Amino acid sequence: MANNNGVGSSKQDNSSLVLHTNLECKNLYEYLKTQPQIVLERLYNHPAICLAVYRELPELARQYVIRILFVEQPVPQAVVASWGSQAFSKDHHYVTKILTELNVWIEDSLPGGLIGWMLSATFKRNLKSALLGGGKPWNMSSALEPDKNARDANFLDSYSSERWECVLHYMVGSQQQEGISADAVRILLHAGLMKRDEEDGSPVITRQGFQFLLLDRHAQVWHFLLQYLDTVQQRGLDLVECLTFLFQLSFSTLGKDYSTEGMSPGLLIFLQHLREFGLVYQRKRKAGRFYPTRLALNITSSHNKNIPVLEEDSPKGYIIVETNYRVYAYTDSNLQVALIALFTELMYRFPNLVVGVITRDSIRQALRGGITADQIIGYLKQHAHHQMLSGAIAVKNPLPPTVVDQIKLWELERNRLIYHEGVLYSQFLSQADFNVLKEYAQSNGVLIWCNKEKRTLVIQKNAHDDVKKFWKKYSKGS
Amino acid sequence: MVLSMQKSFERFYLKKMNNIELRTENEPDVSSTDETSLLVIIIDTNPTQKLLRDKASQLTTVVDSVIAFANSHLMQKAQNKLAIMACHSKTSQFVYPGPRKPVDVRQVDGQYEIFLQVEKTVKQNLSLLLASENSTIATESLLAGAIAMALCYIARIQRTKSAGIKLNSRILIVSGSGDSASQYMNYMNVFFTAQKQNVVLDVCTLDQHLSLLQQGCDITNGLYLKVPQVSALLQFLLWVFLPEPPIREKLVLPPPVKVDYRAACFCHRELIDIGYVCSVCLSIFCKFSPICTTCHTVFKIPGPLAVKSKKKKMKL
Repeated sequence: MANNNGVGSSKQDNSSLVLHTNLECKNLYEYLKTQPQIVLERLYNHPAICLAVYRELPELARQYVIRILFVEQPVPQAVVASWGSQAFSKDHHYVTKILTELNVWIEDSLPGGLIGWMLSATFKRNLKSALLGGGKPWNMSSALEPDKNARDANFLDSYSSERWECVLHYMVGSQQQEGISADAVRILLHAGLMKRDEEDGSPVITRQGFQFLLLDRHAQVWHFLLQYLDTVQQRGLDLVECLTFLFQLSFSTLGKDYSTEGMSPGLLIFLQHLREFGLVYQRKRKAGRFYPTRLALNITSSHNKNIPVLEEDSPKGYIIVETNYRVYAYTDSNLQVALIALFTELMYRFPNLVVGVITRDSIRQALRGGITADQIIGYLKQHAHHQMLSGAIAVKNPLPPTVVDQIKLWELERNRLIYHEGVLYSQFLSQADFNVLKEYAQSNGVLIWCNKEKRTLVIQKNAHDDVKKFWKKYSKGS
Repeated sequence: MVLSMQKSFERFYLKKMNNIELRTENEPDVSSTDETSLLVIIIDTNPTQKLLRDKASQLTTVVDSVIAFANSHLMQKAQNKLAIMACHSKTSQFVYPGPRKPVDVRQVDGQYEIFLQVEKTVKQNLSLLLASENSTIATESLLAGAIAMALCYIARIQRTKSAGIKLNSRILIVSGSGDSASQYMNYMNVFFTAQKQNVVLDVCTLDQHLSLLQQGCDITNGLYLKVPQVSALLQFLLWVFLPEPPIREKLVLPPPVKVDYRAACFCHRELIDIGYVCSVCLSIFCKFSPICTTCHTVFKIPGPLAVKSKKKKMKL
């Protein structure tokens, strides 16, 4: 009889190893999915949010919604399914799932017993009013006298980037304390981007913090705001009210002033917070008007890499990467230099130019810090100098392919081991017993590893009970 | 600065050094393409078209529907671009973005500010255009000219856009005019230019079947639709013309019908099945003429033996 009492439960305890704490960057859809139905329904009471949700939907879903926007009765599901062509039925199922999850449409039965889809009444009403008019005006559009201290887009851009970089600067060099409030620090801590140092309690940057720094500006703002929204209820602010205002802001026009008239005290506090992060500009706290900045515009489209479209005054890229792994960064910002230094070895520094070189060591150091190769490549791509973007092929892939591949290879180098939890079976008395168990495990697809000479095999942990049962039955039978 | 960051970074990774992480799989991109799409809409506002002669108030329906449709296009994506042109009997001009400085609008109701601005600008510019109309002589709409202007506009945007942005452009023509071959050459020129520039030409006709424009749609892979009733125009527009060309293959849309590819002759501008073609410049004539009017080549008058003649019969 085979004795497998010695089933050495040498399972590798690697739960701490597989726990990857990468920065999780939700988009609007994922965020809304986590909200309860009742909040969603309240949110849809405002045209701005309906508009934002609509834009966030997949392309096919947008077409479905607009097709039934003016239909006053449920549309049979079979009819909706017939809109898409057969070859793309997978897309169709995906889209219907999303629309249902977001409560944009609801199931409703038709007189003939068919089940149909019907747009949520609130969503439909408010999307229509955003598109065609009607309903109440948004609460920041009261008429204003012309501002004698009117600000133009350039001023607002430099203001907002100054404010935002202040936050980023604080993250990388916590010594510098000015220009950032305790509130902002609390949010950074809450978001897990920084944590209190065990020794002196001062905030230090975390792994997620480094990943955060490498995101593009839009994604940073959106992630930060989501974390902020997590805490609004503790501050006694209304989540729905804040979200509504945020989306109104995101649909405003750059370089135009808006009135604070009719805003609740809670919103005014929220506005001051946004002012601190540079999302809005206000000359004085009591000015009665504010200017949204580029940071606040279209905040939801965080996944869109090329937001600055056709606008000449959008920020310009500054990094040139050469095939010899040299990186030239035309910048005088300490922050940008520090970011480049995360994954390159700096060689020279000039007043407006930094030269570094990407090496295996520098990349591995970044990887060990929790930054992924994709993040590095994404950062380089996103800030590529316009010289690198010229040319037809370069538009899609501005970086030299050899550098991109090498960075990815260096990352793969570190991922040579894959961990599985398993149970070791050993000390079989006969080769036949071993073979039987091996066959069984193999046919069920739970075999991880086996060695015929030593008569040992490793089986997936969750299949252990099953295999044990089989073994008992088998050994009894023989 | 750099130093402090390096330091904190080092402190950080030393703690985490032993951690080995697994690669996380990136989720598939939920949203669609991040391309910009530029839509130029050409509205035929010629007062002599049959649709408006019957009932002038139908222009309001058409303009309202087109504005709502244009705003739906802008609603699709934040980076979508829009231009609207009015095509008149003697002139074609842009009504959005207008020639003047954009009007400063404040919201009056729940409508999104930019949509309101589109609506205001279009209506204002259109009323100016209609008010300036004073002649009563009936002439046909200059659609080919309007398309040429739209192509120029698209080319300009294409040139000024910053590198790294992909622009999908298309032109939508909404017209109630009848079919006429008098602009045949101009039409063919703009169709093939559009094809070369990768601009899709969509046509929505409100009244009569337009075979020439249908050829344009076929050439540029656009959609052609004759709307059965003008009152339902918006729904037709949203249904058929709102999806951008990349998404169209995922939807079931009106199948392409057989296109009438007859050419117009150069002498009388009539559509013909069989005609004479100049062997030098390929001009088409419905009747034989000894001198080609386009390139002035002299042909021999066909003698009794037709085989010897230089003229060539060609089936089209």
